[in-house]
Amino acid sequence: MLEFKSTSVVYGDGTKAVDNISLTIKEGEFCVLLGPSGAGKSTLMGMLNGLVTPTSGEVALDGVVMTKQTKRTLQQQISMIHQQLHLVPRLSVLHNVLSGKLFAVPTIKSLFKLFDNKDQRRACMLLQEVDLEEKHLYRRASALSGGQQQRVAIARAFMAEPKVVLADEPVASLDPTVSRQVLNSLKLASHAHNATVLCSLHQIEYAIEFADRIIAMRKGQVVFNGVPSELDDAALKAIYGDEYRAATAEERAASTQDKTLFVPSKLTSAVA
Amino acid sequence: MLENQHPSNPKNWHQWSLEQMVTPKMIGILLLIIVLLGLSARNTEMDKAAYKTGEAVLAVIGLSQSTVLDGGASFVKQAFPFTIESRRSTNRIVDFDRDNLPLFSHIEVVEEQRYDALNETYTAEIKEYLVTPFGYLWKVLVKMWETIEMGFWGTLLSVMISIPLAIFSAKNYSPNKFTYLGARFILSFHRAMPELIVALFFVLMYGFGPIAGIFALAMHTSGVLGKFFADEIENAPKGPQDALLSSGANKVQVLRYAVLPQVFPSYVGYVQYILERNIRTATVLGMVGAGGIGMELKGRWDMFAYSHVATILLVILTTVMLLEYISQKIRAKSM
Repeated sequence: MLEFKSTSVVYGDGTKAVDNISLTIKEGEFCVLLGPSGAGKSTLMGMLNGLVTPTSGEVALDGVVMTKQTKRTLQQQISMIHQQLHLVPRLSVLHNVLSGKLFAVPTIKSLFKLFDNKDQRRACMLLQEVDLEEKHLYRRASALSGGQQQRVAIARAFMAEPKVVLADEPVASLDPTVSRQVLNSLKLASHAHNATVLCSLHQIEYAIEFADRIIAMRKGQVVFNGVPSELDDAALKAIYGDEYRAATAEERAASTQDKTLFVPSKLTSAVA
Repeated sequence: MLENQHPSNPKNWHQWSLEQMVTPKMIGILLLIIVLLGLSARNTEMDKAAYKTGEAVLAVIGLSQSTVLDGGASFVKQAFPFTIESRRSTNRIVDFDRDNLPLFSHIEVVEEQRYDALNETYTAEIKEYLVTPFGYLWKVLVKMWETIEMGFWGTLLSVMISIPLAIFSAKNYSPNKFTYLGARFILSFHRAMPELIVALFFVLMYGFGPIAGIFALAMHTSGVLGKFFADEIENAPKGPQDALLSSGANKVQVLRYAVLPQVFPSYVGYVQYILERNIRTATVLGMVGAGGIGMELKGRWDMFAYSHVATILLVILTTVMLLEYISQKIRAKSM
C-alpha cells in the first residue's frame, strides 16, 4: 500500500509543485495519473524513486517511510519505465530484460553475462507475458519496433519483482493501436505480479479504457480521484480548465489532420 | 495581427548594409603570411630545392648536369634486375656438403677477374657459388611475415594497455580525480613519444630484435587508442546508463551492459585501423634495429646492394597494398 500523508513539495523558486496531497493507493492497482503539463505528476513520481524529497509530510510504502529507506532498497522496490525507452540498442532483448536485476548479480559474474537459470527463465516468462515470442530473445533491441521495445522495457521493469512501477508517459511516441497493446500489457503485468503501477498519460480515452483508478492533478493538487466511470465532464473541466476548452477549439480547427488528438472526439462533442 | 507576432525589419532592402569583401586588414594579413613563408623557406632550403629540381628538369632534356638525377639513376641502374635468388660463396659455408645440397639449390662455377693491386694485373679466379632460386625472395617474405606479426602483437598489447587506461580517463567512469588525471597523463605521454625514438630506447634495453619494435608500437598506439576509447565512453548515450543505474546496477555493470555494447563497433573500427597502421610502421622500425623487414632493408642499403633493396621495397609495397585492400573489404562488410 502506497500512502501520501499531507505531502508538499516546494521548489527553490517558491513554486508549489505538490500542494498538501493525501492519497492512498492499494497494492496491485493500475493507477493512471492525468493532468496538464506542470500539474505535478512528475514531482509526485519523483518522490517515489527518490529524485525529489518532500518538503513536508511523508510518503510511505507498506507503512515504511520512503526517506528512511536506503537508496538500494528503493531501487529494488521501485522500477521505472521511461518515455524514451532507454533500452540498450545493441544489447539482446534477453539481456536488456535481465539488466533490470543486475543489482542482485555479483559484478564478476555479470561481466561474463553469467545469469542464474532461474533469472533467465523469469525473463522469458515476462517476455511472453508482454506478447513477445521466442524468436525475439537474442535479437538486438534496436531491431524491434517501437511498441515491442516499450514492451521489453515493461518486462525489464518487472524483472526486479518491484512493489511499485512508475511509467512516465510510456505511450507518448506510439500510434493508437500499439499504445493500446502496450497499456494492456502493463495492466496485465501489474495484476499478475501484484505491483502498483503509477502511469502518467495525456490521453484521456486510454485512461478511461485501462485504469483501475484515475488520479488527476491540477496545479499541485489532486482534483479527481476515483474509478474511470466517475470521470465526467465536470471532472474534466476541473482537471484541464481553460486549457481543456482551448484544446477542443484547436482540435476542431485541425479536424482535417488525422492524428492522435489531445482529447478524444466523443468527449469533445459532449463538451461542445 | 501578423506583424505583432513577427516583428519585421524596419529597413527596406536598398538600405541593408553590405559588407566589404576585400579589406586593407586582409591584404595586410596576406602580405604578412607571404613574408613569413619566405623566411621559413630560407630556413628549410626551399630555394635550393627549387633550384635543384629545376636543374633536374633541364638535365632531362639534356641542357644541364644534375646531382638529383645522378643520385636517382645510381639506384635505378643497379636495382634492375631484382635479386630474387640467394647466392653464397661455397668456401664461406661451414661444413659444406657437396653431395647433399639444400632443396632446389645448385652449384654455379664462375670465373672471376680479380685485380691484383701490387702487380697492377688482372688474374682469373675460379669461384663456386651455392645458388638457391627464389632464396632471397623467400628470406624477404619471411622477414615481412615477422613484420606483420610485430604489428599484430603491438596492436594486441596496445589494446590491453589502452582499455583500462581509457576507463580511468573517461570522466564519468574514473573513480576519482587523481586516477583521471593520471590516466590522461599516461595516455598523452604515450601519444607524444614517436615509435622510432621509443624503439631506440627499447633496443638499448631488450637488445636488437622484434621485442623492441613490438613494445615501441604498443606504447605509442596505446596512447592513440586509449584517447579514442575514452572519448567514446564519455559520449555513449546517457539514457540507458541512467536506466540501469536507477535499477540498482553498479558502475562496472553499467559499463558492461549499457556502454560496451554501444561503443564496441567503433572500437573494432579503431583497432582495425591501428593494426593496419602498426604493420606499416613496423616496416620502418627495423631501421633502428627493432626487428622486422626494416633491419634487412637498412643492412642492404648500407652495403649499396640496391637490387636487394628493390626486392624488399617491392614486397613492402605489395603487402601494404594487399593490407589496405583486405581491411577495406572487411570495413565494407561490417558497415
